[in-house]
Amino acid sequence: MKADVLVIGGGIQGCATAFHLARQGVSVIVVEKDYAGRHASGVNAGGVRLLGRDMAEVPLSKTSMEMWQTLDDDLGHDTGFRRHSLINIAVDDADLGALQVREDKMRAAGYTHERIIDRSELMDRLPHVNPDCVGGVISDLDGYAIPYKATAAFRRAAEDLGAQVVESEEVLGLRRIGNVWLAQGRQHRYEAETVVNCAGAWADRIALLIGDNVPLSHAAPMLMITARMPHFAKPVVGAVSRQLSFKQFENGTVLIGGGAKGFADRANNRTRLDYSKLAAACRTTAEFFPIMHKASINRMWAGLEAYMPDNLPVLGPAVNAARAFHAFGFSAHGFQMAPVVGQVLADLVTGGHSRFNLSPFRIDRFDRKVL
Amino acid sequence: MFRSLQYDDRDQVTLTINGWEVAAREGQTVWSAMAVNGQVETRRAALSGDARSAYCAMGVCFECMVEIDGLPNQQACLRRVSEGMNVTTQRITEESEADDAGL
Amino acid sequence: MQAFDCAIVGAGPAGMCAAIELARAGVQVAVLDRAPRAGGQIYRSAANSPVPDVAALGADYAAGAALISEFEQVNLTHFTGADAWHLGDDGRILFSHEGNTQELRCREMLLCPGAMERPMPIPGWTLPGVMTAGAAQVMLKSDAIVAEGAIFAGSGPLLYLIVAQYLRLGVPVTALVDTTPRQHYLDAAPHLLRALRHSGQLRKGLALLREIRTSGVAIHSVAERLKVVGDNKAEGLRFVAAGRQHEITADTVFLHHGVQPNLNMTRAMDLDHQWNSEQMCWQVSADDFGQSSIEHVSVAGDGAGIVGADGARAEGRLAALNILRRLGHLSRAERDQKAVKDLSVLSSIKSFRRFIDCLYRPTDALRLPRDPETLVCRCEEQSLDDLRKGFDQGAQDPNTLKALTRCGMGPCQGRQCGHVVAGLLAQWRDEHPETIGYYRLRSPQRLLTLDELSRYHTVQVEAAE
Repeated sequence: MKADVLVIGGGIQGCATAFHLARQGVSVIVVEKDYAGRHASGVNAGGVRLLGRDMAEVPLSKTSMEMWQTLDDDLGHDTGFRRHSLINIAVDDADLGALQVREDKMRAAGYTHERIIDRSELMDRLPHVNPDCVGGVISDLDGYAIPYKATAAFRRAAEDLGAQVVESEEVLGLRRIGNVWLAQGRQHRYEAETVVNCAGAWADRIALLIGDNVPLSHAAPMLMITARMPHFAKPVVGAVSRQLSFKQFENGTVLIGGGAKGFADRANNRTRLDYSKLAAACRTTAEFFPIMHKASINRMWAGLEAYMPDNLPVLGPAVNAARAFHAFGFSAHGFQMAPVVGQVLADLVTGGHSRFNLSPFRIDRFDRKVL
Repeated sequence: MFRSLQYDDRDQVTLTINGWEVAAREGQTVWSAMAVNGQVETRRAALSGDARSAYCAMGVCFECMVEIDGLPNQQACLRRVSEGMNVTTQRITEESEADDAGL
Repeated sequence: MQAFDCAIVGAGPAGMCAAIELARAGVQVAVLDRAPRAGGQIYRSAANSPVPDVAALGADYAAGAALISEFEQVNLTHFTGADAWHLGDDGRILFSHEGNTQELRCREMLLCPGAMERPMPIPGWTLPGVMTAGAAQVMLKSDAIVAEGAIFAGSGPLLYLIVAQYLRLGVPVTALVDTTPRQHYLDAAPHLLRALRHSGQLRKGLALLREIRTSGVAIHSVAERLKVVGDNKAEGLRFVAAGRQHEITADTVFLHHGVQPNLNMTRAMDLDHQWNSEQMCWQVSADDFGQSSIEHVSVAGDGAGIVGADGARAEGRLAALNILRRLGHLSRAERDQKAVKDLSVLSSIKSFRRFIDCLYRPTDALRLPRDPETLVCRCEEQSLDDLRKGFDQGAQDPNTLKALTRCGMGPCQGRQCGHVVAGLLAQWRDEHPETIGYYRLRSPQRLLTLDELSRYHTVQVEAAE
């Protein structure tokens, strides 16, 4: 099979890249070893978060957030996005102090999307919060989307524009011969001028085939979801200094995250849960929101996710090969970035450059460091 | 119409089902206490709000989820009655709002 | 934390027979079961029945009491009221007991999750007053509660048994609406000769049918196009039989068209499963001794593939023999020699089953919904039409369809819709169910309160002697 671009990995980054490329008239094939959205893209917490981003990521994340606001219309498919804001709760003066330091830094850089709120505004926006909490910080544009739906929406939008998605297709070999990349899949052979590596937790293996080394590690962030509860929290909720993270969807179910990690068994395509860490997340959630004592947990799971040592993604051209690009290692916060990542990669593929400063995301940024 | 084949009233406990005080035999399931007292509506369906009732009575359909002493999602066919228990039809749908937190 | 040589999950006939065999050989056995007493669904409350005239429930049920009594006399640890919610392939079991999670470890694990009734998604099946025939049995056995004037609809031995039990107890039955197609009698006939090897069961079955026929209860045969009528609750059953439409009034309708393995436990463990095309359901892939695709995990009884109570007893004993071999108590030759009798019993039971499975094979019309409005997923209220739309949007396997439509995401975790979805996808894709697959299931196996999980770290497991 032949195309201008071969995207490896049918997660949300790969599907978004295919969408932006196809929109510019580029022919593109996405190969996915399982099915599109099978791993981190389909089973993450769905947070669409600009709040609290690393300074290096803010410009990308901010643009992406603007794209989310009209994404359903742009794609012509439902991502389940709801803009209900995100609040990180402060429990004491130390938390408020940390928020103030962050705000000063943000203001100095010219950013105004994060705003400190006092206790009364917190109680107003989250009437069920533990009254001992003292305030927090809010980002109004934030919200959530439904992970599998959002990934499927990008995929279908890309397909509407002529992109091809080949599932159950693992890339076994990849070689650059002359001006083309030759890829050997389990089912087919592919030929493309350009390859884009969006292989998520498996991206280090694809990077190796391309010729780049990368210190990628894996983990299995765990999530649990409750049976429906009466609506009690519209914003997405986090905390300044505690492992608290949950959102109540419109259907009433409450998704609890918080970053606790289970066990990642990449070789077997599986994860295992660490129940004592999930128990801790339960305790924290009920401590902040006593109504959660009435919750029943319906499902628990973990997704395989790739992490970089600095928790920043790899985004940009390969260093040891021509016409190859990377976008992976989002370290459990890449879902929100997908719209802009697809745009950046399409710009790199078609024009050779991006309007964003991608130097913090270079794949070789750890080459000289001892980790 | 459900009825009990037992006629003696030994080992009875008293519980409340949807505001009605009823007697039940100790060890009996909450669902059967509801059934013989004509209180067969266990929950409302999550989207439509339609009335639902026990379907399998053995714990695999989750249709008989009721609220027991304020705690929702209790399978009435698996829970057993106890003295003073308060059972109500579960009415959590996608439209439900939590009461004022009382703060 | 307690450690055992073998943990058995489920104290029905398979679990009890395995436990007796193992305990007598001196193995440290833990048995976990949700009920306050052993028995499983089939022998539920058989040892302490609240039914005044328990003989009306039949000789098979009475035989359960003897097995329970034997089980209760052997030396083992029986966790009653124990609801396992996580089974790990590392030998760890987490289970709820009186609102707290307890933990144990075992070298060998034997899963006996039993059967559940095949869902029957006919129009109106979610109305209050519509229950399974098994539900009628459960209510009768555990609490001596019956529904007067009910309609029993469908086909299969369990349906006829409960009707007969009701009649013996003097409970009025409005009608038996039998959906067994005429063609099935012809299809089953070739298996009759081999079924005669197990002639006792066959005689019992025929006697049961005769008992119902001579009772005077209204019987409608070869019924089709069933629909439960009613707005907010069941008010009756509409169907076509003998060339005309009938509508019978009743406030309770009991449905039944066979049983299938209760899969969630074995699926959540990622054991290999295979499609049984005679019984039209998934079952665990296991050898003659119930050893699954994970070496130290065995399965027995209806939860591993429908064999009935007597078959479950034999499978439980066979699984125990193999576990004894694995634990070093028996050589392979000793195991095989001790297994001869039960293997032969099982083989004759399976010949009989082939006849029964053929005669009472679930029809597509009752197995898969026809009316676009009929709900497939009771929890998330997803209808046939909703699922077809999801399929047309590209969600063509059970897991993507679940992710897109929420079908199977509710509290029952696919127990009711799983086989229906697999059947629909097989039909729409025109492929074998084996290719379609099933939902990816995970722990917890059922709703777990947040408070119970919160307390998980503090729980101390105590001996339950």
